[in-house]
Order: sequence, then C-alpha cells, then structure tokens
Amino acid sequence: MGDLLVFVLSGLVSGALYALLATGLVLSYSASGLFNFAHGATAYLCALTFYELHSGLGWPAVPAALLVVFVLAPALGWGLDRLMFRRLARVGETAQIVATIGLLVALPAAGLWAVELLADAGAPVKPAENQFGLPGVGPSPAKSWQLTEGVGVDSDQLITWVVTALVAVALWVLMRHTRIGLLLRAAVDNRSLTELRGISADRLSSVAWMIASALAGLAGVLATPLLGLSAHDFTLFLFVSATAAVIGRFASVPLAFAGGLGLGVLQNLVAGYASFAESVTGFRTAVPFLILFGGLLVLTRRARTAGVAAVDAPPVDHLAGAAWGRRWGVWAAGAGLLCVAFYTVTTPFWSGLLAQGLAVALVFMSFTVVTGLGAMVSLAQGTFVTGAALVAGLLMSRGWPFAAALAVGTCAAALLGALVALPALRLGGRSLALATLALAFLADQVLFQLRWLRNGDTGWSIPRPVIGPVDLSDDRALGVALVVLVALVAAGLSALRGSPSGRAMLAVRSAPAAAAASGVSVLRTKLLLFTLSAGLAGFGGVLYASYNTRITATDFTAMTGLVWLAVVVAAGVRRPQYAVVAGLVYAVAPRLLSDYVTESAHLPVILFGLAGLALANDPDGYCAAVPVRLARRRRARAAAGPGPSPSPGGTPPPASGARDSGVEPRDGGPGAEPAVPGRGGAGESPTGPALELRGVTAGYDGGLVLHGIDLVVRRGEILAVLGPNGAGKSTACRVAAGLLPADAGAVYVAGRDATGEGAVRRSRAGVVLAPEGRGIFPSLTIEENLALHLPEADARACVYERFPRLAERRGVSAGALSGGEQQMLALAPLLQRPPAVLIADEPSLGLAPRVAQEVYALLTELRNAGTALLLVEEKAAGILGVADTVAYLSQGRVSWCGPRDEVEADRLTEAYLGRGT
Amino acid sequence: MLRPIRTLAAAAAAIALVSACNSASTGGTSAGGPGGGPGNTRGVSADSIKVGGIVSMTTASGYSKKDTDLGARARYLRANAEGGVNGRTIEYLGAEDDGQDPAKNMAAARKLVQQDKVFAVSPMSSVTFSGADFLEQEKVPTFGWGTLPSFCGPKYIYGFNGCLVPTPGGTLNQTWPEGIGRILGGAQGRSVAVIANDSDAGKFGIRTFQQGFTSAGFKVSYAKASVPGTAVPSDWSAYVKEILSSNDGKAPDAVVSVMQTPNNIGLFTALKRSGYKGLLSDPTDYDPGLLAQDATRQALDGIHVLLQFQPFESDDPKMVQFKADIKAAAGGKDVPLNMHMMTGYMSADLFVSIAQKAGKDLTVESFQAAAQNFSDTGTLVGDRALPKGQKDSFGCGALVQLKNGAYEVSVPFKCYEPIPFK
Repeated sequence: MGDLLVFVLSGLVSGALYALLATGLVLSYSASGLFNFAHGATAYLCALTFYELHSGLGWPAVPAALLVVFVLAPALGWGLDRLMFRRLARVGETAQIVATIGLLVALPAAGLWAVELLADAGAPVKPAENQFGLPGVGPSPAKSWQLTEGVGVDSDQLITWVVTALVAVALWVLMRHTRIGLLLRAAVDNRSLTELRGISADRLSSVAWMIASALAGLAGVLATPLLGLSAHDFTLFLFVSATAAVIGRFASVPLAFAGGLGLGVLQNLVAGYASFAESVTGFRTAVPFLILFGGLLVLTRRARTAGVAAVDAPPVDHLAGAAWGRRWGVWAAGAGLLCVAFYTVTTPFWSGLLAQGLAVALVFMSFTVVTGLGAMVSLAQGTFVTGAALVAGLLMSRGWPFAAALAVGTCAAALLGALVALPALRLGGRSLALATLALAFLADQVLFQLRWLRNGDTGWSIPRPVIGPVDLSDDRALGVALVVLVALVAAGLSALRGSPSGRAMLAVRSAPAAAAASGVSVLRTKLLLFTLSAGLAGFGGVLYASYNTRITATDFTAMTGLVWLAVVVAAGVRRPQYAVVAGLVYAVAPRLLSDYVTESAHLPVILFGLAGLALANDPDGYCAAVPVRLARRRRARAAAGPGPSPSPGGTPPPASGARDSGVEPRDGGPGAEPAVPGRGGAGESPTGPALELRGVTAGYDGGLVLHGIDLVVRRGEILAVLGPNGAGKSTACRVAAGLLPADAGAVYVAGRDATGEGAVRRSRAGVVLAPEGRGIFPSLTIEENLALHLPEADARACVYERFPRLAERRGVSAGALSGGEQQMLALAPLLQRPPAVLIADEPSLGLAPRVAQEVYALLTELRNAGTALLLVEEKAAGILGVADTVAYLSQGRVSWCGPRDEVEADRLTEAYLGRGT
Repeated sequence: MLRPIRTLAAAAAAIALVSACNSASTGGTSAGGPGGGPGNTRGVSADSIKVGGIVSMTTASGYSKKDTDLGARARYLRANAEGGVNGRTIEYLGAEDDGQDPAKNMAAARKLVQQDKVFAVSPMSSVTFSGADFLEQEKVPTFGWGTLPSFCGPKYIYGFNGCLVPTPGGTLNQTWPEGIGRILGGAQGRSVAVIANDSDAGKFGIRTFQQGFTSAGFKVSYAKASVPGTAVPSDWSAYVKEILSSNDGKAPDAVVSVMQTPNNIGLFTALKRSGYKGLLSDPTDYDPGLLAQDATRQALDGIHVLLQFQPFESDDPKMVQFKADIKAAAGGKDVPLNMHMMTGYMSADLFVSIAQKAGKDLTVESFQAAAQNFSDTGTLVGDRALPKGQKDSFGCGALVQLKNGAYEVSVPFKCYEPIPFK
C-alpha cells in the first residue's frame, strides 16, 4: 500500500508538469487550430532563461521565475503569434505541423546562440552545456521530509504541486468567470463567427498564445531541477503530455489538466510494476509512448475518422496541359547537367555531398506519396529507413547480394508501414501525425533494441554494390546511378498520379466521403499509400545506408524523421521533383552556410526553423511558390499591359480601370440606378445609404465570382437579393461583411469608404453578418451566447422577457436548441440593440415555413427599428412579402434591381433561368 | 505520359552506360584520391602536418564535449613549441562540430579528408561515428575516445586509451571491480548491485560488469537494465526499494550505476534519502564543473567515480605538464579541467607519439608501420601498446571520491590485468 501511495504521489509531480504543458497545448490549439510541436521548446527556452538569470546573473530565484513566467514567456508567445501562428491558422494542417517542427529546433538553437553571443560580449552568463542538478525556485539542494515509512516528499515536489493547483484554480476562474475567458471559448467554437461579432480573433489568439507560453514557461521553470537543460528531454516531455491534450480532445482545459495528472500517475505505476516486461529491452522506456498511442486510438473522436479535411487546397497548376518539354524540360536538363558535372567539375567532396543529397532525395520522395498524394502526415519515415537498412544489412552480413537485400529491406519497410498504418489510419490529421510519432519512438526504443536486428552499436556494414563494370564505391558512379534511380522514381510517381489509382488517391485526399460514395475504398487507398510510401522510404534508406556503407540503429531516429518532414514540406510535397530539390538542399545548404556565411552551428538551425515563417506565406513550399509567383507576375503584367494606354486621358475614378478591362459593360448598370430613389421617404435622405457596394469584383483563387455589382441599402429598408445557386449571393454577403476582400470596386458604410476594412472593423462600424446556417456558438450556453453581444445583465433580462423560451433554457448549450430557436437566439440580441446594417445569408434555410415566417417577422421588426437589412435568399416566395427593394443576381451580375412592386413573374423567372429569349 | 517516361528512361540508361565506362576506366586509380600511391603524403608538407578533429559541441541534449578541442590544441601547441614532429609543425585545423548527428559526423569526416586533405583526424569524440568506414577506407589515421565499436578493429582508428567496447573473445578491464574491492577491503563476501538504462547498450553494460565483478570475487545481487532511457524518472522509489532488498532482503555493500549524470543524481539522492550507507560508484561524474551546483555536490557527495586516466588531483609530473599546457592553450586563464580536455589531449598525444616514431619520412604507410609495434609506459593513460589497443582497453584506471566539495583520489591510478570476456 505504501508503494502505491509513493508511486501516486511522485507520479503527480511529472503529472503536474504534463498538466501545465497539455493545458497550454489545448489553449493554443483552440486559439489558432494548430498543434504546437514547439511547446516543449518554449518551455526549454524559459528554463534556459531562468537558469541564466538565476545562476548566471545571480538574481534571486523567485523574481527571476516571476519575470520569466509573467513577462518573458508571454512576450515570446505574443511575438510568435504575431509573426507566425496567426498567419498559419489560415493554411493547411501539414504546413502548420511543419512550421512548429521548425520552431522546435530553432527556439533552443536561438537560446543557445544568444547565450553564446552574450558570453562573447562579456556578460556574466554561464554555459548551458553539461549542467546538471540545477536549482529550481525552491531551496537547492531540495529539502526533503519523510511523511511515513518509505513515503517522502521534497521541496521541489511540494512547490510543483502547490503552484499547479493554484494555476488550475486561476485557469478555471479565467475561463468561466471572465469576459476574456468567454471570448476565448467562443473563438474555440467558431473563429470566424467571433470576427463577425466584432471580436478580433487575432487579438484573442494573441491572448491564448500568451497564456499558453506562460504555462510552458512555468512548466520549464518547475522542471529545471528534474530535466536540466536538455531541449531534447523537454520535447520528449511535451510529446508525452500531448496524450493529456488528446484526453481533453484538444478542446477542454479541465479534462486536459486532469488527464495530465492521471498520465503522470499511470506512467509511474506502469514503470513501478512493469517487472513482468523486464525481458523486453526498452519496454519501460517506451511506456509513455505506448500510453500516447493507446490514448490516440481510444480517445480520438469517431466523427473525425473520415480523416483529413481538405483544408489545403492544391495550388493552381500553371503547366496543366503543357507539353512534356515544358513540364519536365528544366528537370531533365538539371539531371543531365548533374550527371555531366559529376565527371567534369565537381571535386570528390562535392560529388560525395551531391550523391548524399540524391540518396536523401529518394527517402524524401516517400513524403511526396504519403503527404503529397495522401495528405497524411507521417512522422515515422525515419523508422522505415532504419528498419529497411537494418534488415538489408543483416542479410548482406549473411552473404546475400545487394539487390536481393535491397528488395527484402524495401518489403520489410513496406510491411512495417502497413502494420503502422492499420491501427493509425482511422485517425486523421494531427492525431495521425502524433500516432506515427509515437510509433516511431516505440520502434526506436523497443524494435531497434533487438540485438539480433541492430547488432549492438556496431550495426551492419552495407558495402556499395558493384553492377557489372560499374563500381558504385566511386562517389561519381553512385551519383549518376542515383540520378537515374531518382528520375525513374519521379517518373513512376508522376505516372501513378495520373493513373486511375492516383486519381482515386487524390479523390480520397480531397473528399473521403465522396470518394467512398464513388466506390473508392478510403481505407484501402490510404493503406496502399502508406505502404507504398514506407516501401519507398525503405528503398531510399538502404541506398542512403550504402552511401554511408554502414547502418546503425541510431543513425535515423524519430527526431530525424521530424526534421526530414520539415525539410521536404518547406520545399513542397506535391511533386516528386520538389523532394529532389529538398534532398540536395538538405545535403548542400549546411556546408554552403558554414563555408560562406557563418561558423556558428546555431544560425543554420535557426534559419531552418524560420522556414516555417515562409510556409505561412507559401504553404505549398518554396519550389511550388516559384512557378506560382512567376505566373502571377506574368498575369499581372498581362493585366497591366492594356491598362496604361487609356489612362493618360485622365485619372479615372478608383477601380474603374481594372473593373472594365476584363468585363464588358454591365447590363444591370442602368437598371441598378433606379434603385436609389426606391423607397425614398422612410430612409430620411440626410443619412444616405447605410451600406453600398459599388462595382465590386471579387472571387476566390480559382476565378472571379462577382463581376462588378452595385447594391445599395438604406436605413430602415430591406433589400432582398435573389438568385439561383452559384449566382454569387453568399460571396456578395462576405464582401459586404468584410470577410472577403474586393478585388476591385468599393464598399461604403454610412457613406464612408470601408473597402479596406476586415470583418472586425466592419462589425464594429455596425455591419453585422448572420452567416449561412446559424450565427450562434453551439457549445456555449444560451446565456453565454447572449452575453457575447450584451455584456450587461439587464439587457439580457429584456431579451429573456421578450423570448421566454430562451429564458427557460438559459443554462442549456445552444447546440441543443432547434433550428428555429437557434435563429431566434442569433437575432434576439440584435433586436435588443439593433445594428446599423444586418446582412443575413439565407436566414430561412432549413426552417419550417411557419418558423421562417416568425424569423421574417423579427427581421421586419429590425427594419422598423431603423436597421438597414440586406437579405439573401434562394427561395423568393417568403422574402418578397417583407422586402422593400429586390435585386436579382445572376452569374455574378445584378441583372435587375427595383422596388418590390415592380417585380414581375417574368423577371423572376428570367433571373433564375437566364435571359435566354 | 508513357512515351516521355520511356524517353526519360532511355536517356537515363544512356547516361548510366557512359558513366559505367567512365568509372570502369578511371575509377580504379582515382577512387581513393591520393590514397593509391606507394607513399601517401596527404596533408604532409616539408614543414607541416595537417590534422583535423571531429567533436560534438552543440547538441540538443545539453551534453557537449567541446573542451576536447581545447585539450587537443594544448597538446599540439606544446609539440610545436618543442620544435614540431621531426621538424614538421602540426597545423591543427580545429574540430568540426558534428552536433551528435550521424549525417554531420560523416560530412565532417569527408570534409576533412576531401576538402582540407588532412593527414590525420585527432581528436574524434562523439556519441556517433558514422564517418568511421570512410576514414578507414581513405586510410586516415584517426584518434579519439574509444567508447564506440568503430575504435575496435579497424586498422587506422585508435582509441586514446584503447578500445573501450569489450568484444566476446577479447578482454575486460578490471579497474572498477578491483578498485571497489580495494576500498571495501576485499571483494570476497561483498555484494554489489549494478543498474543501467533500459536499452540494448544498457543490457550490454550489465553483461560485462556482471562478469567483471563476479570474477573479482563479488556477489552480484542485482544487475538490471531497468531505468527508462529517454527521460529521467521523477521517482526512484521503485528502483531503490528493489536494490535495497536485493541482497537476500538486505542492502548490497555497493551500488554501481552505469548511467549518465542526471540519472545518477536522482538515484543516489533517493538511495541516500532512504538511509543507504554503502558504497556508491559510477563512471561518468568526474567533472569538477559538476561541483558548481549545490544540488549536484550534495547528491554526489561520497561517490566513488571511475576514471581511466590519471586523476587531475595526482601530482604526477605529466599531470603538472598537462595543466600547464591547458592553461597556455586557454590563453593563460585557469579553466576548470574536465575529462573531455583529457580526451583531446591524449588523442593528440598518441598521434604525436606515433608520428614521432614514424620518423622524418612521414607517410600514411610509415605511420601505420610505426603504430604496429608502438608501446610506451607511464603516460596519463598508463601503459600504451598497439595494436593491442585496437582490440582491448589499456586496462588502467583510478577511483576518486567526492568529499565535501572536492575530489580525492581513493584508489590511485594503476594498470590491472584484464580478464577474458566470455
């Protein structure tokens, strides 16, 4: 019993640290939707700062800790959010994962570099290497007390417990009882809706990152006596605490907190009682990762199993349909030149370096398969490489020829890939990435500890093959052979992409449900991709090992796999050629940097980490960015070409030049003007239009949707915009609300040009968008939903008076309401405090006719209160009863606009069916 | 789509064919660079010898060996001050930082040989040595800390105090068991517990020390590779409890840890807190830098640390010389000494000694010939003998005890008779 108590008590120490880290993970995930792999690195950086302040500069421990936790760590979080995370929130998941992996290596390097520079400048800092038994906040050495026989605590443990408990209470108060907590929870629920409500999600994101960083800083300071100054240990610690974040489903702070505590205890119990597994080398070491993997399998929500959301839309392929020569000419020429260079200009050293780059490129191309084609993030590629190379080495030591060993090694890696994939595939995105990471660590710690497989630290010799007259032990011959192999694999992958299976893979990538409906087995396709990728990684791995002429079990670890992924994604994973560029850059860049730029070992690592910043701008990598940017510039030049010639005539009003260049004069133009005097009287002319869109052109990356529309809404007027599916109604709403910038034209709010303003500023200027669907936060209660708009209790009381149904259920989460009630909840606070402009996108969507009528009644009430309403509907029937002015939208143009009385059935039909006759 | 692929394949095949002929005709002679000729004088000029080094300096684990570079520099400075090696000064290029990364280790080896064209690599001290095969193939004499298997067997690679990875059929260094036996006043009837990390390397360590202690006469009451290898446990009670009852329900006379410093701090603190009064020992914590932290000083107080070179506390004239050399290399400052400096210094020393013996006509071949029956006695790592040192450890060592914040020699430096490793 005493044992159990000791295990639980001391388990709570690491548990408390897990809890702090996991809470920070959940908060930052909620705020910007990205899993921060660099969270442990942040903790490390804070621990390092604390150490330098306390031991180096001689500050007392408590002020140093307070400064780190309350000032420096939040400042770091704020800075990173401003520079990086905020922008990353809008790109795909892969780029997000990779950017934070970059930080994971860059932050510690930056810290160490700073220490180095300070030391050179003569500051009294201490070296950060080889430091053990560092003091924490409490006395050092720690005081210890014997509670009962065999049960003791020390001061460091006690401090960790007390501080963590205080933090738990403080977080609870913050999240549940402050406005900022309410806003944070709202942003977690629906980020874009918070923006529409005039709450800057960016600012919330900053707050969340600051809190998360402060928690990481706290964990760092508390963990200093335990972990010392090992960035590696901090990162491992973070990976373990990810389990707790999974328990909290990346959304619930209390669950993650409790999960962290439980995890520490569980880990201790397993380690304490795992004597049954003593014969399995590495089992105890692997316990945290077993828990992580198991936790992911059990706890990841079923609803997400559909897998990967297609957040990252593929970039436009500018060479689609171009001739072979244009698509491949550059690459083929490059390969040819490289081959020639091997035998002419490159020195032996550079030949070796390039050959190494090509060997790595083979491994890197496996990312093109799994991440590029499959949109799955695998962090276990290093494992496949090691596995294949070890198997091949083992066989070659038994006298097998190189080719046979290569084949078996490749198959072994593919098999391992399939084994990894089977349990992991039903997870999507971030969970899959974490699961593969857990498996990679498991392989490092258990599988590759098998003596017969690893052959101790000696590993296996993998001599380079001799094929007929070609002896590949010459780096140049190996280089040329690798160029050939790389070209073959690249061609094969491109062919695969164009084949029916490749199309099935792309289908599964972009829409798993639709793919399944078309008879493509999602699971089988993903399994195939994963297996293929693992096999390819293994194939490359054996060749890489033969470049090194040896493989040992520690050559390519789980952490290597992480860095590889970052290097490949930074270059681009959509095409195999990019992986080749990544491989060559990976081999050559460090040497170039150290020869020509800096001797410091830290700076290249920092630069590499900052590649994440570039990803925020070009999520498809620098290789893909080059053609895209070139094409954009070409297009811009082409667009600008005809522009200057008419302009000398006089300075045209803004936007007219661009608008008219591509689009013929609008048919709706003359019709739109009469709308101005539409209702006349009620509008009270001195106010002018409350919202006006003038010649707005807008669209998405793929093409234009709105081709110059004009719309005007006045105070106390309802403008109904009708049109068929795809006419551009929702796009018009988004431009009006500031969610989507106009390519040309202008948006005026109360006569003021608001074209450049985003959703938050528009909302603050009184332009409110009720988006398609329901404009509510489903996991907040009714009370909290109302409080977001009406902070004062008496204002809410008025709402409850008006809507007794909401009052009865004020503690119920809004997601539990019926559709009509939800729409009611969305409109109720607006009635209490009418906005200047309300833009409602299909307010009657999915509502029963009777309920829809109630909603229209509420909208009419708003109009009478003076709000200008822009209503968009697909079905004309209901809305015509309340509208004052009607505009027809078809194919991105206003085809007719006028008072409701002039609406004729013919026109209506025409608007929907086009102006055929 | 298919046709272009065929074109590509054909083009590739053509290139392959061309390169095949090319490499067949030229590969044989140029493969090893200047390594093929009868007298390989890469890096040797009339008045200088070019030498490089590879050391793990920056790492993510917080463990750095960067002072190895300073140690080597100190030894070369003295050699040059004394007139060089047979009239040639040693041009030490400094150590490449491999960052504990196998790929960088390999790249560093290639750079030193192919770009800088060094005659030898000394020191090479890292946790990984993936450049070993390349250095061996290019015939580059390499000297370093023989904790990795690559220091055992290859012809051109030498450990400064021998090969420290026992191989079955080879021998075991008995410094540790014999030394602890001396402190305890004899090994007979004494029991010892050995603990290591839960990894293949840990298991191997357990195997060797179990045999070593047993054959010295100890009863090994506990020998387990059970401590998780990656993160330091926050709780040691499970291990402590097991160790303290391993000797038929009683505590063993000595506890020996084959782990790194952070683990040792945790384990020893926990053992002391639970009232253990026996002997504690480990092979890693001889670093005066550790004494800077109160917590470490307290945790390690009373510990006997194994080292395989003359302790800094000894007043051997060679040690006095070592300290003076280090001080000179550090620009006249008194820097705290550590074992990495000794690694670098003695790696350089072994290289210089062999090069001295190779004579005026220095080539790789003459150097290797001189190494073949090289031996001397009374150095800071004891009696050196080659090629025995490429298979076994030199078998010398000492124990020091940390007492009240200072190390004291508890068993003086001595060479022991090794035992066969089964």
